[in-house]
This record gives sequence, structure tokens and C-alpha cells, in this order.
Amino acid sequence: MVWLPVLTPLIGGAIILALRRSQMAARVASVLVMVATVAAAALVASLEATGTWSWGGQLDLAVSVTGFGRTMVVLVPVIATAVIGFAATNSEDDRSIVKLLVALTWFVAAMELLVIAADFLTLLIGWELVGAASWVLIGHEWRDPQRPRSAREAFVTTRFGDLGIYVAAGAIFAATGSLRYDDLAAVSPGWLAIIAGGLVLAAAAKSAQVPFSPWLFSAMAGPTPVSALLHSATMVAAGAYILIRLQPTLSAVGWFSPVVIGIGLTTALAGGMVTLAQQDLKKALAGSTSAQYGLMLIAVGAGFTAAAAGQLTAHALFKSLLFLTAGVALHASGTLDLSKLRLGSALPRVAVLFGIGALALAAVPPLGAAFTKEAVLAGAFHAGIWVGLGTAAAGLLSTLYAARLHMLAYGPGPTRDVHTPPRRGEMVALGGLAALTLLLGVLWLPGGDAILERAAEGAILSPTRAETILSLALVVVGLTAVAVAWRRGRLVTLGMPARTRAFIAGWWGIPTAARVLIVDPVSRLGKWLFIADRNVLARIADSVAAFAEYTSRVLKRLVERGIDGVVWGIGGATIQGAEMSRLADDRGVDGTVEGVASGIGEAGKQSRRTQTGMSYHYYTAMMIGLVVAIAVATLWR
Amino acid sequence: MLTLAIVVPLVVAAVTLAIPKRHEHLARPLAIVTSFLPLVVVAISWARFDFSTGFQLVESAQWIPSLGISYTVGVDGLSLPLVALTALLFTVSMVFPFDVLGKPRAYFATFLFLEAISLGVFLSLDLILFFVFWDLSLVGMYFLIGIWGHGEDAKRSALKFFLYTLLGSLALLLGILGIYLYTDPRTFSMIEIIDKLPVPAGGLAATLIFVAVGIGFAVKTPLVPLHTWLPPAHVDAPAPASTILAGVLLKMGTYGFIRISLQMLPETFQRFALPLAILAVVSILYGALVAMAQTNLKRLVAYTSVNHMGYVILGVAAAGAIGLGSEASRSIAMTGAVVEMVAHGLITGALFLLSGSIYARGKTYELDQYGGLAGASPRLSGIMMLAAFASLGLPGLAGFVAEFQIFAGTLGVFPWLAAIGLLGIVITAALFLRMIQQLFFGDLPARWGDWKDLKRAELYALVPLAALVVVIGVVPQWLIRVIDTFSQMVARG
Repeated sequence: MVWLPVLTPLIGGAIILALRRSQMAARVASVLVMVATVAAAALVASLEATGTWSWGGQLDLAVSVTGFGRTMVVLVPVIATAVIGFAATNSEDDRSIVKLLVALTWFVAAMELLVIAADFLTLLIGWELVGAASWVLIGHEWRDPQRPRSAREAFVTTRFGDLGIYVAAGAIFAATGSLRYDDLAAVSPGWLAIIAGGLVLAAAAKSAQVPFSPWLFSAMAGPTPVSALLHSATMVAAGAYILIRLQPTLSAVGWFSPVVIGIGLTTALAGGMVTLAQQDLKKALAGSTSAQYGLMLIAVGAGFTAAAAGQLTAHALFKSLLFLTAGVALHASGTLDLSKLRLGSALPRVAVLFGIGALALAAVPPLGAAFTKEAVLAGAFHAGIWVGLGTAAAGLLSTLYAARLHMLAYGPGPTRDVHTPPRRGEMVALGGLAALTLLLGVLWLPGGDAILERAAEGAILSPTRAETILSLALVVVGLTAVAVAWRRGRLVTLGMPARTRAFIAGWWGIPTAARVLIVDPVSRLGKWLFIADRNVLARIADSVAAFAEYTSRVLKRLVERGIDGVVWGIGGATIQGAEMSRLADDRGVDGTVEGVASGIGEAGKQSRRTQTGMSYHYYTAMMIGLVVAIAVATLWR
Repeated sequence: MLTLAIVVPLVVAAVTLAIPKRHEHLARPLAIVTSFLPLVVVAISWARFDFSTGFQLVESAQWIPSLGISYTVGVDGLSLPLVALTALLFTVSMVFPFDVLGKPRAYFATFLFLEAISLGVFLSLDLILFFVFWDLSLVGMYFLIGIWGHGEDAKRSALKFFLYTLLGSLALLLGILGIYLYTDPRTFSMIEIIDKLPVPAGGLAATLIFVAVGIGFAVKTPLVPLHTWLPPAHVDAPAPASTILAGVLLKMGTYGFIRISLQMLPETFQRFALPLAILAVVSILYGALVAMAQTNLKRLVAYTSVNHMGYVILGVAAAGAIGLGSEASRSIAMTGAVVEMVAHGLITGALFLLSGSIYARGKTYELDQYGGLAGASPRLSGIMMLAAFASLGLPGLAGFVAEFQIFAGTLGVFPWLAAIGLLGIVITAALFLRMIQQLFFGDLPARWGDWKDLKRAELYALVPLAALVVVIGVVPQWLIRVIDTFSQMVARG
């Protein structure tokens, strides 16, 4: 039962694959599979189901739908329904559409496994499988050599983070002999610190936090639906999700809170500026994704997981909406360059939908995203005044970039004919996500806090009046600033020198640093080692071999001088161990043995003659072996 | 019954040689049919496996009683999976289509001979018998590489392989004789030696014996820096022989580490567990880094074998470090190591066969000569990607089940070494993805315009391997339970 959210898309994907001959059927099936997955997820969430599956030995896969997992297990297929619906209507003639739909469906299976995991082995399985799905999907258009390369960069970076889960799993196993989350409470402080370290590493890598953030840029090489589902709403959410789930135990580690807050705050600020400076719509959205997950990490570090969970949910809805509308922009105009879009007049209805997403990103009340962001801010101030101020600055940045993106992408511009206007199915998908984004405004109603606390089984802090005023003021300031810059025509360049802007927009030079400091040295090390391998190690081995060859040549000469029979006799005698013992007893070479020996020697000569090439080496080398063996055996007797 | 698995292939090997020239096309079907017998024997043994005992299905006969040498074969939770792997890999390697250079009788006779010998190594429960099989395995492989290898250097590579591993086996022989000299009454029986542990712990003799057998196994495994025979042997070996070399012969080294070094000299092994684990981590990283520098497909796969054998030895070293970590950690490390032996055999076996398929079509192993093959040969690309992902340890495939257990266990025993060794799985991910990218993505070069996908005969060989990789990755219970009977015993110390 509890496996249904995993099995439904898993089997469903196989069905879609089987239907590949009829593209229409495959497209319809893919949406139906997702609807079924939503139903399955809702069912197990309401039952709070649990289950295990033994792998034999000491390995059990445990799953349970509890805590924030109940929300997440439904949220994932809900967004996937919209995204897959969008993708299924979007690509027209494409033969590879079936592959895309199957991969997306199977990704959902892996993601659901990650969400319902109740132990580190199951978590790791889901965690690595979504990474692999990401690789497949980023490289979807594999004929273009650049995309598989981007896919590899993204996979390898996140896999480095996966090591953290390996470490965490090994640590909890060493400490308790179990892999279950439930047994974390029994872990000694030393091992718990290692587990926390591993999980923070894994979460930072998966949620594209500093210094791993640039992999999300590489991921943008994938088709837009892939970016919308994996690289904003779900897979990237895994890092924040696991920290939300395990924060209650991990927070016992002294450095956990400050480190998580530090990573989150750094990413929120740095990523906010990256987004502000970016000139590519998808990359800008990717930068803002990192920044938004940074906000969630701040809330987790401050101990208010319900605020983080609320922010995660709101972000998943509006960011997938923004990515899909970015896809519409790309289709309509053939570019993602923010200086060339301004599609507001050409696609007014889409512009409204993008606007709803942008307002949510900017945290404008009464949208739900504004409520959750204020809760994050309140939590941050609770953790410390500087954390609070930093988070407020990050909030201002998000208002600034959200407004900027909306104006540049879907602001009023020339009315022109667009290449491919969005189809009805696409509009339905966008409309659904926009409706959910709006619906989340219910959080502002009395009891919104309680809803989040119950959904996340965590704490949330209501903002003080001062904090509310501050965040509203920042929203106003941000919107005004963008309006002014728009008027002055500086919204693209921000009045910054191009090189500075490119440096910030390129993630503060982290990709270059990673290449110079890690990638290049490692591959150079590999090349050096290979040269050493061939020229030093193998040479040593060769000289040993040459020595053996030399010895065998000498022996061969001896053999030809007539010792043949004797040596072979001894050799034969060892094989015929029984004779050998008699030989030792008689303290001499008795006639019978000699006869046998020379017989074998003859046979040896014969067989040597029949062999070609270098096989005599075998016999001579074998002889060395036997002679040594006999010498040892007789000396020790 | 187990004896049949050794004797019948040997007899049929002789029969194959005696087939008249005009009927020589019968050699292949005869050999393939014969190779199913060991598979049947394995299936029966598996079905009758007794989880409550160690060595079982033992068959014994007097050989040279005055020296304590006997013919004894049997299986336990360690050897049964390896016997199964051996039987399977020999069958698929013979099924895989291969140009036998007009010598089908000699080729298939050698193959059957080597199958019998290899099964013998894992089934033997007498040290002399073990050694005889061990040494004869070199002969079989020597001829396969020397005669049917490609490239001008095939003979040279074969000889290098031969001399190198022969020197290793000399060290092994000395070690075996050393153990023998401490038995009282004198015996080569592995069951008795494992039971009574005759070699006094802690002495110089124990150290010398440990080092001697260790060198023998380290060459065969191979562990860095004794691995240099491996890449040339693989590059020049024909594809089916590479599969056997990587899938079966390397396992003899790791098997020896467990069966002889660990089980017969446990205290000495425990003293040397840390250095051995360090060597293993060096092999993991060295193999991965050097593999990353390769432009030649087959050499790349060969170096990843060095990397994977490092994982195995790391798990074995952790399992034998009695006194460090918990019993559960040591036991899971051992299970992981044995699963890795099976997984690596299947995965690398498939990768080498696939390299053979690519070579048969393109006549080169140079990766930069290829590109865009995913469109031209979806089946080839699909199976190769599956094998590559299995090799880099993706969950859902066999390699993960092994590597997870090795690292989960080793982290409780040698935490720092495990953490460093983990870097290996990032490097292998990078290099395998680059390999996939170079072979299959991007544009198809014009000269591969008529590139053909896998033929049916190739699929017959590859699909069973790929299927097992998935089965072990998803439902490994049947395998883990058998191995666990052994691991728990070893971890208890």
C-alpha cells in the first residue's frame, strides 16, 4: 500500500513506453498516470502508511508517510501532473517526446521513494536515482554535444554531495546497527555529528547551495519542463526536505544550526545578486531557486521547520509556474535573452500568469508565498539580529529580481507575431499552477500558522508587527526601485559595468574556481599517474619479467646440456608426490624413479617441440617453481 | 555432484580436440551445451543450500594420503556465489559470437578446460588441489590471450601476464607450504586448517606466510602497485577472454585473500588489516584516476577493475579487523565485498563483451573515434549505459548493493579510509559518464553510417548479464542471505 506512490509511476512509465507507437496514447497515458499517482499519494498520506521490504541480511528498506512527508508526497505528483501535462501538449512532432515523458514519470517514482524513505538506505536509493533521472533529462537532446556535458557536470557535482548520505548511513549503522531515522535518537554525539555533517553536505549539494550552486546552471541545458519539475520544485527540494524532516534530532549537534543558517544566508544573498545580474531568463530563475532554498535553510537552522516547509511548498508551486512560462517565452520568441523578450503585449494572458508567479516570488501579500516568507524572516530574527537583517536583505533582493524578471520577460513591449503561441493544454497547466499559487493565500486567514505546523509537524513563529512592517516596506521599496529603473531603461544593465555583471551573473566565478582548483588538477593527476603507471611501475615489472626470461634462457641452456632428464625428473616427481616421498626416504636416486624421470623428460622434449612460439617459457618457469618448492620442502623437513 | 562440474568440461575439452577436422563446426555447440551442466549443478546446490552450516556438499577422495593431500571439493556462502558467477560467465562468453581464427576446436577446448579449472579453484577444499587449479588457470588464459588476442603485442602481453602471475603463484606456493608445515598431523585440508588454525599467531613465521600468500593474491586481484600486467593483458585479449579474466580470474585473488589470508591466518590478518585497507584505498583512487585519463575504451574498463577490486579488498580488510568496529559493521562489509565480486563479474563481464562488439564493428578502442552511436544502435547503447551506471554504483543495479554495504560497514571500522575511498565513486561517475558521452552522444561520424546494432547472438550473451545486474540491484535477498551465512561467521572472529 505505502509503495503505491512509487509503483504507480514506475509501472505507469512502462505502460507509456509500451504505447510509444501511438504518440497520442502515450501523451494521454502520461497525464493519467500522474493523476493516478496523486490519488495514490493522497491515499497513503491520509493513512500515514508505513512499510518495510527486506533486502536480506542486515538491510531493510523502510518507508513511512509521516510529518512533512504527507504534504510532500502529494505535492510532487501534483506539480508533475501540471508539468507533464504541459510537456505532453507542448512538443509537437518530436519523436523523443515519449522518452521525455517516460523519464519524467520514472523520475516521479524515484522522487516519491526519496520522500517516503524512513531509513538512510532507502533515502540514498531515491537520492541517487533522482540524480540519474536528472542526468537523463538534462541530456535529453543528446545529439547536441554540449547538453550531455552539462548533464555530466550536474550529476558529478550532486554525486559528490551524495557521499554525505553514504557517510551518514555508515555512521548510523556503526553507531546502532540500524539505518532507520527513528534510531537517530539513540546515536552517540560523536557519530551524530558525522551524520549531521554528511546530511548538510548532501542537502547543500542537492539544493544548489553555495558552493555547489552552479550545477543548477548546467542543469538549465535540459528542456523547460525538466527545469520546472526537477530543477526548481522537487529534486532540488530534496536537500531542504531532508533537513526539515531530521532537524529535530540533528539540531542536538552544536554547530548544526549556525552552519545551516550560514550556508542558507550566504546562498540567499549571493544567489539573489546572481539572479539580479543574470540576462538569461532560465538561468535567472535557477539563481533565484538557489536563493529561495537558502531562505528555507535559514528557517531550518533557526529551528522553524514549519516555516521552511511552507516556503518549500509555495516555492514549488510558483517556481514551476515561472519555469513553464519561461518555456512559453522561449517557444514564442526563440530566445531567453532578457534584453529581447518583453512579451507582455504579444502574450497578455501568459503575462498575467507569469505575473502571479513573480508576485509570489516577490512576496507580495496576500499571496501565500508572502506569508511563508514573513515566517522565515521572523524565524531568522529569532536566531539573531544579524541573521534577521541578512534575511531581510535577501528578501529585498527577491522582490527586486522578481519584478525585474517580470518586466523584462513579460513587461509591455512591441506587439508582434509569436512563432508558436501556447496551446490550450499548456495554458491549462499554467492556469492550474497559478490557481494553486493563489489558493495558498488561505494561509493569511486565521489559523494559517496552525495549518503549517500540523502539515510539517514543526514550529513556526508569527512575525512581530515590526517584522511585518519591515517586510512590507521592503516589498514596496523593491517594486518602486524596479519601476524607476524600468523608466530609465536601466533594468537590463542595472547601470553596472558589463564585466562586473558577468562575473556576478556567472555565480561569482565559482565555476572557474572549481575548474581551476578541482576539475583540472584531478584530471591532470590522472594523466600523471597514468604516465607513471606506464613508465615506472610497468618498467619495474618488465625488468622482473626480463630477469625471469633471462633465468629461463640460462636454464634452457642447462637443459640442453643434458640436465634435462634430472630436472624434469624432479619436476615430475613433485607432481607425483608419492614418488617424491619415497625419493626422500631412500636418500638417493633409485633406479625406478630415474626411469620415470627420464621418461617424463623425453615427454617434455616432445611436447616442447610441438609447441610454438614462446611457450617454452612456461615450462622453464614452471621448473623454477618446482625446484624452489622442492628445495623449501626438503630443507624444512 | 560438484565433481561433475569439473570433470565433465575437462572430458568434453579433450573430446572437442578429437573432433575430426570436417566436423569442427560442432565444437561450439558442444562446448555451449556442456557449459550448461555446471549451471545446473549450481542451481541444485543453491536450492539445497543449508543456511545453518558452513562447508557443504563436500566430496572427498584420497589422493596422496602420505602427504595429507586429498581431492576435496565443497561449497559455502562464500564460494557458491563465485561458482555460480564462473559458470554463468563461461556460458555467456562461449555464446558471444567471436572469430576463432579458424581454430574452433582448440578455442573451445581451451575454454572448457579453463572453465573446469576455474570452477576447481573455487570448489577446492584442499590447498594443493587449489594450487594446482590456480596455476593451471594461468596456462589456459595464457593461450587464450597469446593465440586469439589481437594487436601485435598480444603474445608479449600474454607472456607478461603469465610470468607476472606465475611469480605471484610461486609466493603463494611458499605460503601454502609454510602453512602445511605447521599442521599436525600434516594435512592440506582447508576445512581442517580453517577449523584448527595451526599457524601460531604473532610469530615471524605467521607474518612471512601472510606476506607470501598476500603477494600471490595481490598480483592476481590485482592491488596497486602489482597491477601492471592487467591493462595490456586486457587490451590485447579477445573480448570473451577479457570477460573471463576480469570476471573470474581476478576473483581468485580476492577469494584467496578471504579463504586463506583471512580464514587461515585470522590474527595475522587482523594485524595487517589497516595496511591492507590503505592499499585498497590506494587501488580505489589510483584505479579511478588512471581510468579517467584513458582514451582507450578497453584500458579504461581495465583500470576500473583495479578500482573495483580495491572496494572488495577494503570490505575484506574491514571484515577481518576483529576488534575494530561492531560485529554488524564487519559482517556487512564482508557481505558487500562478496556481492561486489559477483556484481563486478557481471558488470565488467558485460562491459568487456560490449567493448568486443564495438571493436568488431569499428576496429578500434579509441573513444574519440566514435560518437552519436545512441541513434544508430539503441540496444548496444542501452545495455552499455546500464552496465556503466551499474559500475559507477547507481542504486537499482548490482554495484550499489555491493558498494553500499562495503562503505556502510567500513565506516564503522576504518572511518577515514572509507571516507577517502568514497571519493572513488565520484571519479568513476565522472569517467563513465564521459565514456558514454564520447561513444553515444553528439553527432554520428559519417564513416559509421552503416553502424549495426547488436545481433541476436550478442544479445543472448548480454541480456542475461544485464538482467542479473538489475535483479541483484532490486531484489538481492536470495544472494545476500547465502553470503550472510559466511559473513556472520567471519565477523564473529
